[in-house]
Amino acid sequence: MTLPPIGVWIAAFLTISALSFLYKDNPFFRFAESLFAGVSLGYYIGITLDQTLVPNLIEPLAHDFGKNWDLVVPGLLGLMLYMRYVPKIGWVSRYALAIYVTYYIGLDFTRRIHGEAMPQVARIIQPVFGPNPLAFVFVIGVLSVLVYFFFSREQGPVTRRISRLGIWFLMISFGAAFGFTVMGRVALLIGRLNFLILDWIYPILGI
Amino acid sequence: MRRFLERLLGLDRRWIFLFVLLSVAIPIIVPIGLPVTTTESTRKAFDFIEALKPGDTILISFDYGPSSAPENDPMAEAVMRQCALRKIRFIVIALYPLGGLNLANNAVAKVVSEFPDLKDGTDYVNLGYKDGASAVMRRMGDDIAGAFPTDQKGTPLSQIPIMKGIASLRQVQLVFTVATGIIGEWWITQVHPQSGTPVIIGPTAVSAPKYYAFLNSGQLVGMLGGMKGAAEYEKLIRARYPEMARFYTTTHDFTATKGMDGQTVMHLIVLLFILLGNSAFLLSRRGAPR
Amino acid sequence: MTFNLGPVVLVLLFAVVPIIGIFLGLNSPGLRSRIPIWVAVFAGLIPILAMYIPKGFLSGQTGMSQRMDDWLIILAGFALLLGIVNVLQNNFKKVARRDSGWFYSVVLLIGLFVTGGAGIYGAVTKIGIGFNPDGSPTPFKYLTDWFFQPLQSTIFALLAFFMASAAFRAFRARNVEATILLVAAGLVMVGRVPILELLAVPFPSLHASAASASQAMGKLTEWIMDVPNGAAQSGIIIGAALGAASMALRVILGIERGYLGLGKGE
Repeated sequence: MTLPPIGVWIAAFLTISALSFLYKDNPFFRFAESLFAGVSLGYYIGITLDQTLVPNLIEPLAHDFGKNWDLVVPGLLGLMLYMRYVPKIGWVSRYALAIYVTYYIGLDFTRRIHGEAMPQVARIIQPVFGPNPLAFVFVIGVLSVLVYFFFSREQGPVTRRISRLGIWFLMISFGAAFGFTVMGRVALLIGRLNFLILDWIYPILGI
Repeated sequence: MRRFLERLLGLDRRWIFLFVLLSVAIPIIVPIGLPVTTTESTRKAFDFIEALKPGDTILISFDYGPSSAPENDPMAEAVMRQCALRKIRFIVIALYPLGGLNLANNAVAKVVSEFPDLKDGTDYVNLGYKDGASAVMRRMGDDIAGAFPTDQKGTPLSQIPIMKGIASLRQVQLVFTVATGIIGEWWITQVHPQSGTPVIIGPTAVSAPKYYAFLNSGQLVGMLGGMKGAAEYEKLIRARYPEMARFYTTTHDFTATKGMDGQTVMHLIVLLFILLGNSAFLLSRRGAPR
Repeated sequence: MTFNLGPVVLVLLFAVVPIIGIFLGLNSPGLRSRIPIWVAVFAGLIPILAMYIPKGFLSGQTGMSQRMDDWLIILAGFALLLGIVNVLQNNFKKVARRDSGWFYSVVLLIGLFVTGGAGIYGAVTKIGIGFNPDGSPTPFKYLTDWFFQPLQSTIFALLAFFMASAAFRAFRARNVEATILLVAAGLVMVGRVPILELLAVPFPSLHASAASASQAMGKLTEWIMDVPNGAAQSGIIIGAALGAASMALRVILGIERGYLGLGKGE
């Protein structure tokens, strides 16, 4: 029998505390839940400071201010974000928020057009009766789903039938997604039980 | 029969939880060793990396956290092992804020301990984590050093041998993103159009169905879908490199292949639950007064 | 000091203009929402225009767009920590007032300060937040490995139980569409894992047949994922992409302003 290191004991205690919620809500679970929230936020502080703010802001300014003088601006804009918590001058944070939000939205715009819409539309443009005998299933599927999602006008008798076909394709997709989701959720449980059994219990039992 | 099923449906759900717990725990204690079959999307990913030449460089992005580690860790480790075996250099980064960096550090440490000849800075480098994922990707498309001025130890990129000749993502032969959530998708929809770099994704099973659309359109070279995808990749590695079997069959460590036993049992149980529930439902509908 | 055109224009647009806007806004509340919207227009248009206009000052190595990427990496770091102030305010209040459950707020705050403190210590002393040179974990890494990771993994692992319970109690084939969903789910679940081989384990004579049937189910599953699922996902992606792109334009052009948190009449 080899006793596992203290870290394993801590992790095992926290794992069992969190799993205890399945029996009923209890102080151990609430302790684990609160600790999780606090440690997660502390983790954010550590990684942001050590991995982004120090190497990308503080060190460039400290070591080569002449080349990086403009980085003072994002530093100040970042601090400006926190002014939203000061009631009288909270409106000042709008400048930083506006820049942050619309920059990422600008990136999102190009992503949506060049990375999503255009390649997917190009994929539909293929020979329906070509070497792949079931290619028409794909084309019909995409077009019927797009008809279903067209909400700008009330649907007539023909479009309603095509929409219904689109819904059936969507149901197949959601069913397939559920099948995959089972695997995804169970994998997490397998990981935790693997830890408890192989890394904690087995060493105690000497297996 | 109907009454039995209705009583079963009214069971306290804690009995269901206990049943689930035992269903997953027993295959860990008594492994079954069920076979794993490979799919085309995983084979494509494997073959693409196999076709790379020694000295080529791939970027591995840890875009997942502990919430999906049992699925994603085996994928990342398997690809890094393949790179080590084929003398392909790899650059590691992390873009997922909630735990990506720590998992990257652990995975790199694990693989480096298995391949002691790997040299930090020459055969691989860990650049660490950066906030603002899509801004980082965009910057790396033009200049990697702009986003990551140093590696995780603080060494400037200009002093790291592996980074010589790799100024941007255009000089990298492949991006392998191990992902949970949207960050993996951004490598496909933002980086691939920007720099043309091929992308392989290792998503969690929950998000894998969406990526079939990107596979179909040619935006993805390959995909390892969930724990099954990781197990398939482990099988392909063992088949191609028999000496790797020691990591997948004899160690205490968790591998996706070992996890598939529990997956299979749980799938069967969920199917059974759905059948039982719907049988009771149909029987009660038939017996109900019109 | 180096003055490239790109960074200089960025400083003018996103430092000088906001400073002027703040001074003007001190006396004119109406300008507190208008000038940020103008700043937002430029912030949103620069990354888009840089993609289509290959001019040095915009998309070159010292151009506006690349430098703006550097800025926004830094700004994202500050933004990630924004929620922490709110959490600190709420939990300190709870502890001070001894509200119900205040002990758990103490636990949260201890977790936050100890882990955050370890991170700050690692950053300031340059030992970092990963491994020490001798391979041992830094304090931050120790906390991450044995507190953060197990907690996050387990909280998410609870979903497996609720999913199984929902499959038992809630998933019903009430109509045609729900039946299609459940049939597709069943086929994919059987095709993805070797369920047939598992059922054949006690019957050696059935092993070969189970393996062949499993392979056939696997091929069917692959077809379902490639064709019907691929088609539906393509349709969803196209629809969502066009919707999101038009929403993005509305935000960049200042038509949608909800993200600024404007008050009544602003």
